[in-house]
Amino acid sequence: MEWLFRSEFDAITTVALWSIAVVVATTIVLFVYTLGLRFATLASDRRRARFIRAWRDVFASAMLSEDAARQCTLPPVGRSSRTDLLEEWNHSRSMVDGTAAENLIVLARRTGIPGLALNLLHKRRVRPRILAVQTFGHLRDSRRRDDIRSLLDHENTALSITAAVALVDIDPSYAVPIVIPMIEKRRDWPRNRISIMLRMAGSERISEPMYRAIRSANNANRTYLLQFSRLIEAEVLDALLEDLIRDSNDPGVLNAALKLVGGFGGVPRIAALTQHDAWFVRMQAAKVLGRIGQEEHLSLLESLLDDPEWWVRYRAAQAIASLPFLGPNCLRRLRERQSDRYASDILQQSFAEVGLA
Amino acid sequence: MTLQDFVLSGQWVFLAYFIGINVGYLLQNVIAAWGIRRYLQTAEQFEAESVFSSLDIPISVIVPAFNESASIITSVKAMLQLEYPQYELIVVNDGSTDDTLQKLVDEFRMQEFPEAYRARVPCAQVRGVFRSTQQGNLRVVDKENGGSKADAANAGINIARYPLVCIVDADSVLQPDSLRRVVRPFLEDPTTVAVGGTVRISNGCTIRQGFLEKVGLPSNFLALVQVVEYLRAFLFGRMGWSPINGLLIISGAFGLFHKETLVEAGGYNPKAVGEDMELVLRLHRLMKSKRKPYRITFVPDPVCWTDAPSNLRDLKSQRVRWQNGLGQALALNRELITDPRGGTVTWVAIPFYVIFELFGPIIEVAGYLFIIICALMGWIAWPQAAIFLGLAIGLGVLLSTSAIMLEEQSFHMYPRFKQLALLYLVAIFENFGFRQLTAVWRFQGLMRWLRGREHKWETLTRSDNLADEET
Repeated sequence: MEWLFRSEFDAITTVALWSIAVVVATTIVLFVYTLGLRFATLASDRRRARFIRAWRDVFASAMLSEDAARQCTLPPVGRSSRTDLLEEWNHSRSMVDGTAAENLIVLARRTGIPGLALNLLHKRRVRPRILAVQTFGHLRDSRRRDDIRSLLDHENTALSITAAVALVDIDPSYAVPIVIPMIEKRRDWPRNRISIMLRMAGSERISEPMYRAIRSANNANRTYLLQFSRLIEAEVLDALLEDLIRDSNDPGVLNAALKLVGGFGGVPRIAALTQHDAWFVRMQAAKVLGRIGQEEHLSLLESLLDDPEWWVRYRAAQAIASLPFLGPNCLRRLRERQSDRYASDILQQSFAEVGLA
Repeated sequence: MTLQDFVLSGQWVFLAYFIGINVGYLLQNVIAAWGIRRYLQTAEQFEAESVFSSLDIPISVIVPAFNESASIITSVKAMLQLEYPQYELIVVNDGSTDDTLQKLVDEFRMQEFPEAYRARVPCAQVRGVFRSTQQGNLRVVDKENGGSKADAANAGINIARYPLVCIVDADSVLQPDSLRRVVRPFLEDPTTVAVGGTVRISNGCTIRQGFLEKVGLPSNFLALVQVVEYLRAFLFGRMGWSPINGLLIISGAFGLFHKETLVEAGGYNPKAVGEDMELVLRLHRLMKSKRKPYRITFVPDPVCWTDAPSNLRDLKSQRVRWQNGLGQALALNRELITDPRGGTVTWVAIPFYVIFELFGPIIEVAGYLFIIICALMGWIAWPQAAIFLGLAIGLGVLLSTSAIMLEEQSFHMYPRFKQLALLYLVAIFENFGFRQLTAVWRFQGLMRWLRGREHKWETLTRSDNLADEET
């Protein structure tokens, strides 16, 4: 070992040796941790599988009969299985509605699920709190309404949107006026979950608040909120779209509104929008005119066939191809009279798509 | 400077380099562990409630194919079964010299279609567009060979109709829910312009009808080593950069892009060797020049499985190409290096890539040679040389061990103890020869880039995993 203590090499060798020691120790720690993790996962998977096997039958029979929910024998729930019980109950509860859901709530009260959820509600970690909020929502437990409402502003997206969904689950009439104004504020809420929440609340409950929220929002928020307006009642939606298309000149709002147009209101304004500066507004207007299918709009649609934007040409050509009063021969003649190559090409493609090549 | 000073300085330089690179990787590891944990916490809920709705963003899946006759039918059939509400599949036949196109035409009853084609990004001449009379969402673009996958992908981008485009290798095996997983960042953050997903090695796995049936480990040592390499590369190599918006590469095997941003950036560069990295760097450059907030992000879910080279010739070719591509991509986007508004990309990611990834092989190869020569010449004692080599090996084992730990914590794809043991053995033995060999290949790739030599589509030896099955 004399070399270790010789001349100028000592310092660097010492650094290298210490580094090796640290590296080896860290590697061993990670290795042992990984092995431990593997054993723990295996043990927990087995325990969970046993637990779920036992409880799944209980949930299934409870869903079918209230008597079973009140009287069936309950398998034991160990301390380590409490979260599994909540997760499994929530899973079963999320799949049913009506009497089956009521029965599951009865069963939950027997098993002490509300108490377990209450213990989790005020934990520091977010995950248990999400589970608790979800549980209270599924239990439709109105006593926790205020606790859950206070979580709507929580910085954690998952917790906050879960609280909104739970609130709607507990009492939609109470929740809708609270959560709808939150949608434009909480842009971090996943759109799919907002959509689920609004559907749960029901179109008759959300129509008026959504109408008001969209009408009073600025253009950016309006465009955002319009995505969810498919879920409101048809007549409210038609009135809203007619107002927006008539009053707004914002390309984003017009684009979002035109995408939703299903009725025949405001047709002259829509026809005028085929000349809008924003290409996507012209494109949406062409689509709507194709859907409406009135003969007077043919020349407007034809004028869009040489639009500088491909998508406008394409949608206009598709709209023309779908017009009910134009037979195959008319369509062919229409294509032949196009002097512009872009117009001719796009008509050829669109006609081919509907089998008129 | 005396010989002793020279040897001592050399030792300090190499020691500092090895410690520097590994500390960098370990930091990435810590960020990745945090990122994966955060991702998984919300993933469960996202999946549970992710019912398809009108809010899902339609996707154009683009599959560049050159001489893929052996497997194209199985691949396309599998991709037609992806779980996603609205997507189209565009196969780009890049002037194949085999019967790739004919097979597609016959199998899916394709008919030539008068598509009003518009060339928004550059690519070789398009000969025709075919549409399936059987599958409404399948089209095939037949084009002249452009000499690169990038050129073929651009042709697909030109006819893509949906707002997001997903570029997928023809020999990739996708998870049925891969689109749903990879689209998640676009739904959560509208400023997202590109998303990459984890690519895993399919050698040793059981694949049926183009889908992964059972995860396994390959018996071939080279392929096995690459399993661990990919764990390192994706679980912390990419996941470590993503949370700090410093991701510089999205694998060419599977990437999802916002189409208009991609077109604005000019599409793929058909001349680029590493077209995937070059594109991501260009996207960073574009978005920074526009001074708009943006995200280029990564989902750690294993969404795509790919065949790894299992012989030295193919592996060498791949590694040389990767290194060449890295150099070229960084050089083509050198403006990013000096962009004062470059943020994490300019100040952290690019310096790391230049020092440790691009020029790393020079230092690595020189380091090994230096220690061996010094020991042979008696300038340092053999035990001392062994300590330095031991440190290099130990750090290599540590990184692989941490990648295996991340895998165990997150996706747990190799559930058998035998598989875990095999991964650990590989984590140790890859450091005796394999790692040094790849350092030499990367060095060659670096030299090739410096000499400015070009690269073209290469036909690699494939496993039989994806060959079309008799029906």
